[in-house]
Amino acid sequence: MKTRPKIALFQCQWCLYSEPDQCWVDNELPPSIHLIKLPCTGRINPLYILNAIQGGADGIVISGCHPEKCHFKEGNLSALRQHDEFLNFLDYIGYERSRIRFVWLDLQDRGRIQRELADFEAEISKLGKVKNLATRIGTPVGDQYV
Amino acid sequence: MMYILEKKNIDQTLTDWSAKYKVFAPQKVENFSQFLPVEPSSELALDNPHNTRYPPKALFLPQSEALLKYNRQLNKLEELIIAPKPRIIFGIRPCDASAVSLLDTVFHTGEYDDPYWIARRDATILIGMGCKEPCQTCFCTTVGYGPFNHDGLDGLITEVDETYFIEVFTEKGKQLFLDLPVASEDQQRIVKSIQTNAEEKMQPAFDTTNLKQKLDQNFESDYWSKISESCLGCGVCTFLCPTCFCFDIVDEVQRNERVRNWDTCMFKIYSQEASGHNPRPTRVERTRQRIMHKFSYWIDQIGKIGCTGCGRCIRYCPVGLDIRAMLKTASTLESEGINAR
Amino acid sequence: MSEIKVKLKAEIQRLLNEDIMDMVIAFKKEDSPLRPQPAFFKNPDELEDLEYNSLCQNNLATYLTRYPQDTRIGIIVRGCESRSVNALIVEKQHKRENLYMIGIPCHGIIDVRKIINRTGEEISDYSEDQDEVSVLFEGQEVKFPRKEVLHDSCLRCVHPNPVNADILLDDPLPEGDPAVVRQAVESFETMDKDERYALFRHEAERCIRCYACREACPMCYCTECFVDHATPRWSESEISPAGTHAWHIIRAFHLAGRCTSCGACERACPMDIKMTYLTDKLNENMLEEYQFEAGMDDETQPPFASFNLDDKKRFVL
Repeated sequence: MKTRPKIALFQCQWCLYSEPDQCWVDNELPPSIHLIKLPCTGRINPLYILNAIQGGADGIVISGCHPEKCHFKEGNLSALRQHDEFLNFLDYIGYERSRIRFVWLDLQDRGRIQRELADFEAEISKLGKVKNLATRIGTPVGDQYV
Repeated sequence: MMYILEKKNIDQTLTDWSAKYKVFAPQKVENFSQFLPVEPSSELALDNPHNTRYPPKALFLPQSEALLKYNRQLNKLEELIIAPKPRIIFGIRPCDASAVSLLDTVFHTGEYDDPYWIARRDATILIGMGCKEPCQTCFCTTVGYGPFNHDGLDGLITEVDETYFIEVFTEKGKQLFLDLPVASEDQQRIVKSIQTNAEEKMQPAFDTTNLKQKLDQNFESDYWSKISESCLGCGVCTFLCPTCFCFDIVDEVQRNERVRNWDTCMFKIYSQEASGHNPRPTRVERTRQRIMHKFSYWIDQIGKIGCTGCGRCIRYCPVGLDIRAMLKTASTLESEGINAR
Repeated sequence: MSEIKVKLKAEIQRLLNEDIMDMVIAFKKEDSPLRPQPAFFKNPDELEDLEYNSLCQNNLATYLTRYPQDTRIGIIVRGCESRSVNALIVEKQHKRENLYMIGIPCHGIIDVRKIINRTGEEISDYSEDQDEVSVLFEGQEVKFPRKEVLHDSCLRCVHPNPVNADILLDDPLPEGDPAVVRQAVESFETMDKDERYALFRHEAERCIRCYACREACPMCYCTECFVDHATPRWSESEISPAGTHAWHIIRAFHLAGRCTSCGACERACPMDIKMTYLTDKLNENMLEEYQFEAGMDDETQPPFASFNLDDKKRFVL
């Protein structure tokens, strides 16, 4: 891919325990990565993921706390099942599951988010620009029936 | 003036017209037909005994239409002025064409002129295909129209064996057929008798005498809750109806566009007010609205029934509701002498 | 079929005469050809119009959520519909003690459009027996074996027998073979991803957003559907690929673990759009991963309503 792949990063606001890591995400994220900060990964509605995909996200990273270390106790557990199923469903329709990655961060992880994002970007570059489901980009309105 | 076009020449004729016009004709889609632009590879469905499922009003009032575009970088608003290429709609049924001319009274009144509608209407020539056999769901004659009605048309085809006999009513329509042979007196007589025959085949579906008064005076009657009980409240009847025109304008923020879409009074949110109040809170009021609008309020506005009898609402209703049966029951209602409106 | 109708009439009369139920939802005679309609009988003398045959294509459970929970409602249910009613009870949309399910083991619903595709439009005078259906077309009688004109969802039916019905009007039928569902889903899955997406587009982009599928579905009862949200706007209401894709994907997803594969959505659609291939896959996953099938009883919570600490093993950390 010639340009850097567009990546949407859904980040739980509690998962980056080290100050330098959070600062990096807030200030030094490459412009091809769009940050969406949430109070908890449990807040992520499958609609958000679909919205990002339709807007042209070549890849999606969801970063959150470990399932049993959630700031809101069971917040991210309640969404786990839905996310799992939704990703299977998207794969079924033609958006590869490998374009979506979950990163569960632990207390002692330092510098991991940067590594994961770099790794992910390399993977996505290999998969190529997304075509399936990225339909909000540049589609004219309502010319289907006329 | 009546012209003769042999059916075997139709492909060539449409191709010839495509040089200067965008030609639309009914084409095969899945197991039904739809008005689509004619291409060399098109599979025409002119012989389909029905009208298309999706109504041709979409060719004048598209289901979704962008009105304005906003450019965030330049902080500018761009009006989307439409300048449609001249078009021919070929094979439209008289019920759909008379619906277009009914909608002219909404979108082109002199006082309220919709530039989008007018631009498309002015750029279009409508050549209709008359109906020799009624379908089980047709009732155009009951509401004041007919299988060979001229309203809204520039020309009308009567099919006789392998030939199309085309009557033209306007200059716009005439110029398409000037190279064709003209029908003789005898041929014109045959065509006229086929048309009269077709009209006679249609039985009245319900009694329209005093129908408006009966509906008005029974506004609060429990007749409405009886007929609307199985209605699902979907948009099938309104979206497939050639005379329904309600629309909603939405700002699609993610697209930076202001879009006009078809709307339907059958949805609850249609009449939902910002305060939370809904003047049509249940199915009963909403179904009543649909029937009153078509068979009473349209008459208040322009003196005609707002329905052309195409039958799509009957054919495609998921629960098998039949507006003819509803109105047959309505025509038996007593005029209570109380004007509830 | 006609013996069932006789038994049905007697049962409905009993429910209304003895004031066991306030109302019974069943079907009545057609107004337009081959379209029997849902009917709401409140009086035992209204039953002249009662109808029951394989053309009765609506899932009547969709009407339950319109009435307050203290309304006593009798309802005809075939296999899939009884499961829809049970699923509604699990979601607390009605009380079991105020419902009376009249169960009819189902031989399948006839897809009128399949008949029309074979004969031509303008058919009338339908009749049926165990093996065959016949209609009149252009004055001639045309017959079809039932299997050839059954609705697609009925061809894949696993549970034709009503679950938890209060009374059964016929002998139970043998259960269907889940392998048929597996085969249908597999034939889609084995295509490569671009072919799958192309098929999805081909179907979804015919959509005119009439929401007949949503209204016909008993499980779509939200007072505010996600498509009606204005802020934030998740699904464009316009006819554009993004909007219609989002509609079909998210509606199917919201039905995961709730859909009973009745096919009412496909039958309601005026544009003949296929959708059950989406929900069938999700239902299969629910069965495989969580051993859950919607509506098989009226107590078990669906998988998405709960979680388990073992779930984390499924995710790659």
